[in-house]
Amino acid sequence: MRRLTLLAVLVVAALGVSTMVPAQPKVAEVLIGSVLPLTGNFASLGQQYLWASQTVEDIVNNDYDIQVPLGPGKGFPGLGGAPIKFIVRDDQSRGEQARTIVEQLISVNKVHWINGEGTSGITSLIQPVVESAGLPLSCHPCASPTLTEKRLKWFFRTGPNDKTMVASVFSFLKEWPERGGPRDLKTIALFTCDNLFCQDNRKVATDLAPKAGFKIVLDLTTKTGATTLASEVQRLQAANADVLFAVQYPAETVVFENDSKRAGYMPKVIATSNGAYSDETWLQAQKKTNGAAGWLGRDPTAIDLVHDRPAWKKVNEVYKKYSRGQNMGELAMREITGLLWMADVINRAKSVDPAALQKAANDTNMSPEQLIIDYKGIKFENGQNVLATGVVTQVGWDGEKHTLWPWDLAARANFKPIFPSPSWQERDSKPKPGN
Amino acid sequence: MTELAQAVVNGLQMGFLYALVAVGLTIIWGLMEMINFAHGEFLMLGMFGAWWLSAGFHLDPLLAIVPIALAMYLFGMLVYQQLMRRVQGGDPFTQIFATIGLLFLLQNAVVAGFTSDYRFVNDTFLQKLGGVRLTLLGVTFAVPLLLAAGLALLLFLALYLLIERTEFGLALQATSEDRDAARLVGIRPQRMFAVAWGVGAALVAIAGAILVNFFSVYPQVGLQFTVLAYAIVALGGFGSILGTLLAALLVGVIQSVTVVYLPPAFKDAFVFASYLLIGLFRPQGLFGRF
Repeated sequence: MRRLTLLAVLVVAALGVSTMVPAQPKVAEVLIGSVLPLTGNFASLGQQYLWASQTVEDIVNNDYDIQVPLGPGKGFPGLGGAPIKFIVRDDQSRGEQARTIVEQLISVNKVHWINGEGTSGITSLIQPVVESAGLPLSCHPCASPTLTEKRLKWFFRTGPNDKTMVASVFSFLKEWPERGGPRDLKTIALFTCDNLFCQDNRKVATDLAPKAGFKIVLDLTTKTGATTLASEVQRLQAANADVLFAVQYPAETVVFENDSKRAGYMPKVIATSNGAYSDETWLQAQKKTNGAAGWLGRDPTAIDLVHDRPAWKKVNEVYKKYSRGQNMGELAMREITGLLWMADVINRAKSVDPAALQKAANDTNMSPEQLIIDYKGIKFENGQNVLATGVVTQVGWDGEKHTLWPWDLAARANFKPIFPSPSWQERDSKPKPGN
Repeated sequence: MTELAQAVVNGLQMGFLYALVAVGLTIIWGLMEMINFAHGEFLMLGMFGAWWLSAGFHLDPLLAIVPIALAMYLFGMLVYQQLMRRVQGGDPFTQIFATIGLLFLLQNAVVAGFTSDYRFVNDTFLQKLGGVRLTLLGVTFAVPLLLAAGLALLLFLALYLLIERTEFGLALQATSEDRDAARLVGIRPQRMFAVAWGVGAALVAIAGAILVNFFSVYPQVGLQFTVLAYAIVALGGFGSILGTLLAALLVGVIQSVTVVYLPPAFKDAFVFASYLLIGLFRPQGLFGRF
């Protein structure tokens, strides 16, 4: 009988053990592989993304009274307080280098998530590597629609894509006459650089411009890294379009500005999509010349209104610790929003197992109150946040961006649009906010 | 017709800026036959120097030319003595890798020290003339670029006189042609090479101080000019100062005229196609001596 009892106890114990959930190995730290263009052509972008990741690492690992995901408390509560660690690698703005780095991050560093590369062109090159490895990959400031149209299982983007953002610009231009804007804007010239991001913008604009009632009179694609754009400006001047839709990076934008000034070229409206318009350094420099006054462009948030959010202010203070005092630009805001979402996903997954992370990412339903940016929330379809929004802003004579569209936000911003775009003489003669 | 004339004028104006960038390379590569892939980084250092003196001491880039040229002259000599002298006698590939290493060292040192931000020099003398234009027969001339062109011409003239009309220049040429023979007549080749590197670095840094009036300043800015500078020196003919000037003007005009009639993507393609074409008939370049 004693032997039978012992056997029964052993059987019950064995059954008990077999039905127990296997214990998760304790996670010492959550490793995020971050591949960024810290040197090379896109270094100024990479630098902002680096500061963004340092900001998020600080917020997650330390106890901040900020109403954003993982703001209060230290580390991930869902992982027993494990901290986050970004392993940052520079790809020198080169695609093949980025691929090699990503392979190393996955196989050598054993990261749990890849974030990067910050530019759409190079991100499209690393997507297949990460997809075949079965790890989550995110690029929040990447705006090329193609990145999420491939229906990849492991790619996520919280930011809006170019279809959303360029559509905002054309919606504004279309609706503007009904809201007291000019009625004589009929023609448009497209002036874009030659990489994936610029060309995606060009394609979207080519599609949307006629629908918004514009005739495309010139479509110029320029070489990235151009030392002169004088002849391009000559052609723009000859085409004499009412609206110039420009998608150029900061260095080329400066060349364009100088060549335009020398030629005395100024269209009635300059509309932009990202590039220099998103670059905080370029915007700050324009305050000394009035160079950007009247330029309008797309943004993912109402830049002038977002400052009122208490969470934005607090996050910005953390960001400034790393950015040598520079405020968050819209690119940094998009990146930080995305990285905080990633932290929330990891915390909800309570695991660094890729499948659990993927499920938690797909299950996301984040409300706008948790964000530092004006998205309507975060919710995914095929890796794209369908609640990301587009806003149209314009740089005023104060050198700051002001919201023009959507109309409800524009009413709150209460800004009178500058039209027509001021001549170079007027820019020179007006007081400059940066001086 | 006016459109073409305007494109030619635009091209000539840019050509003078290209000539400024290429002139330092004419000395180091064209005359002394040493390879320097860090040439663009010397330009970048000149631009950063001009930005720093402007932002920190409110010194106009045109005035900053003097201290920048002096500093870069010393830097060029230092690079020769500490790096290039050691690899000079070896395989040409050693020079290539040494200067590529120098390129990355300088570029990344500037990234580490100043970050990758774009920087802008504002309110300079040339920028204040930015909106001033002269119009002749319907063709517009930009005054700042005309002044820059004048400066470029002055520099070329000074360099031409230095190389062709002074004992120092003749010694430099003699060293370039036959180092041993030069040594026999009392010339110290190592000193000549060091001075050539100093002069080359100073010239391209002067170009940088002028370019900050027209371009933004960032650590990678040199690269886009380096490739053009190499094409210009090869097109003009190794060792020919006049050839470099004319080749730079030709490159500027080709770029400019191409874009008026064809998509901008062909801009540089036509520059290098013209180099290949000239190379078929005159491998030594337009005015090459060798």
